[in-house]
Amino acid sequence: MTTPSDFISQLATKLGRSTPSQTPDPVPIHVPEYRLSGPEERATVFLHNWQALGGKGAIVKSTDETVQCLKEWFGELPLDRPAQQAIVAWDLLPTIAESAFTTLNWPLVRYPQSALDTRERYAIAAQAELGVTGADWGIALSGTVVMNSNPQRGRAVSLLPPRHLTFIETSKLQDNLFEVLEAISATGSPPAAIELITGPSRTSDIEMDLSIGVHGPVEVCVLLIEDELKD
Amino acid sequence: MTMYKEIVEKRVDKALADDFLRKATRRATDRLRLGKFKAAQDLGDWEDWRLAGEAIRTQVVANLDFYLKQLIEQVEKNGGHVHLAKTPVEAVDIVRKLVHEHDAKNVIKSKSMVSEEIHLNSALESEGVSVIETDLGEYIIQVAGEPPSHIIVPAMHKTRQQVADLFEPIAGHTLSSDTPTLTKFVRQEMREKFLHGDIGITGCNFAVANTGSIVMVTNEGNGRMVSTLPRVQITLMGMERIVPSFRELDVLLNLLGRSATGQRLSSYTTILTPPKHSSDSDGPEEFHLVILDHNRSEILGDTTFRRALNCIRCGACFNVCPVYRQIGGHAYGSVYAGPIGSVITPLLEKDWDKWGHLPYFSTLCGACTEGCPVRIPLHDLLVKLRARKTLSGHTPQIEKRIFQGYRYMFTHEKRLRQALRMGAHLQRPFVKHERIVGGPPPLSNWTKSRTLPMVASKSFMQMWSELKLSEKSSNSDPIQ
Repeated sequence: MTTPSDFISQLATKLGRSTPSQTPDPVPIHVPEYRLSGPEERATVFLHNWQALGGKGAIVKSTDETVQCLKEWFGELPLDRPAQQAIVAWDLLPTIAESAFTTLNWPLVRYPQSALDTRERYAIAAQAELGVTGADWGIALSGTVVMNSNPQRGRAVSLLPPRHLTFIETSKLQDNLFEVLEAISATGSPPAAIELITGPSRTSDIEMDLSIGVHGPVEVCVLLIEDELKD
Repeated sequence: MTMYKEIVEKRVDKALADDFLRKATRRATDRLRLGKFKAAQDLGDWEDWRLAGEAIRTQVVANLDFYLKQLIEQVEKNGGHVHLAKTPVEAVDIVRKLVHEHDAKNVIKSKSMVSEEIHLNSALESEGVSVIETDLGEYIIQVAGEPPSHIIVPAMHKTRQQVADLFEPIAGHTLSSDTPTLTKFVRQEMREKFLHGDIGITGCNFAVANTGSIVMVTNEGNGRMVSTLPRVQITLMGMERIVPSFRELDVLLNLLGRSATGQRLSSYTTILTPPKHSSDSDGPEEFHLVILDHNRSEILGDTTFRRALNCIRCGACFNVCPVYRQIGGHAYGSVYAGPIGSVITPLLEKDWDKWGHLPYFSTLCGACTEGCPVRIPLHDLLVKLRARKTLSGHTPQIEKRIFQGYRYMFTHEKRLRQALRMGAHLQRPFVKHERIVGGPPPLSNWTKSRTLPMVASKSFMQMWSELKLSEKSSNSDPIQ
């Protein structure tokens, strides 16, 4: 195997100079970034784009509204029986989400604490009907929810169950991807995983025929929690 | 040489005779091309984005040594391991060793063009390791034992019935050929494999130099499975697949999703900075990044072709290429097909005998250049590759003879006159409706699929001398 210093110095030779010791100047970027007028438009555009991809979405202001929505979307599922462990969730969800699940008496299995063994945790998430997460950012232009990994969360929650529900405060919505990447950069070193999720799992690999839910969630839902809006 | 030539012709003839393939290729490329066109519109001036993409890629490639060094340091700082491979054989050995060290029996893979380039699957399978492609399209062609026919939609050439026939022996029962049934079968089949994979192998769309992050752009979710569930993650990347920081990533992700599939962002755009943190509840505990050179450094040192390294593997050039649209990917014979494949394959593989046909799989119309989101002058590079091939002496004998003959004739007026007269005479048996429709070899290579204009009964040189004569005779009465 080639050592890193040999590998790098061969490239420098090909480039006809020695390897720069300072970070090269970044290139100037002049692109027309997508901008919206304010929080209301941002929420509307986000929902529109999310739904256009086949996702379910609604804006909620209170626990009652959240309960109504959850009943409407998932009322048919056997989510109220503790033995079935039908809902896996992060350790901590936004307050409105927590109180809505308590009101409904739908027990949540907290994924990080669900089992000591990793494979057992996977099995629990894989047999659940619904995975529930929060989100760190949303992107209006593409209809995307963005979530960082951390010990109180779990990447499998938004991946293994056939349905994924995200709670996101409207104040976390951004216009475009650039703003989100900038915010991630500002937090210093990135977490092990940042998932940008834009609609359900999809494929067009068989005769270009769109098919939903080949590996990841078949159904994706977002509840936008109207909080103090950013301007 | 002749042998390869025959193989190439056979492949092309096979593709041209395959009606489904040609229909499917048109359908896929039309869909993707129009999708791109629509998605490009909501970005404002698409040309501004292309210019930015070009500038970013050019700057990265020009400083590739710096950014690679930074990437290696960052990955190691994050707790990952970096392996550098000069050749495909070295890259395969690195992966093979890792698989043995972990005593892995089940390897699950998400899409990686580099793994196709180094022929990884066959190497691992020959040692009894089960390697499962988990992307639906890749899985279909893995079961069929074929290479990808399109960089984004690898099994585009298969009918749904063919897919059902391929899956039935695995399912152990009959499958109807509707898409939901086939997709559902794959979902069930793959679930167990995901949950029990020992090692996950992924590709890499971009590596972020200043954070040591790997960015994967996928739609099915298999890329997330492969990089979340197994204990060990191995990521394969070509050494040029770098962005300096998240700032540049914005531009390239916006260009890639739109150019590849007409999406603003793919369903899953995943930014990984592995391994998992010790108290995270999932994610790989161990991370290996394998960085492949495979003559990319030669391309880097070649200022004529360096720009070919700017490619972001979106496949947009495939979808606009009139040659690709007629014959699909398999006729090229290479892992990378389409215009970009025709440029990089001869440079990566360095074998004119085997790959010298590729620069000619082009009409030089320039649609690829116009379609490229990072403005690689693909058609121009194809012309330059043809010149490179000719200068290296790899022109077929027959072509050399033709050009010798051409020079012999066109450098002497008398010979040319004679040849034209002879041509006008000799063409007679082959003329139909004022076009030449046949002839002896090598002319027949052309006329078997196209016609030629007739040699005029009176040549321009003849007409010119006659005109001069008539001028002279009317000189006494010049036209005012």
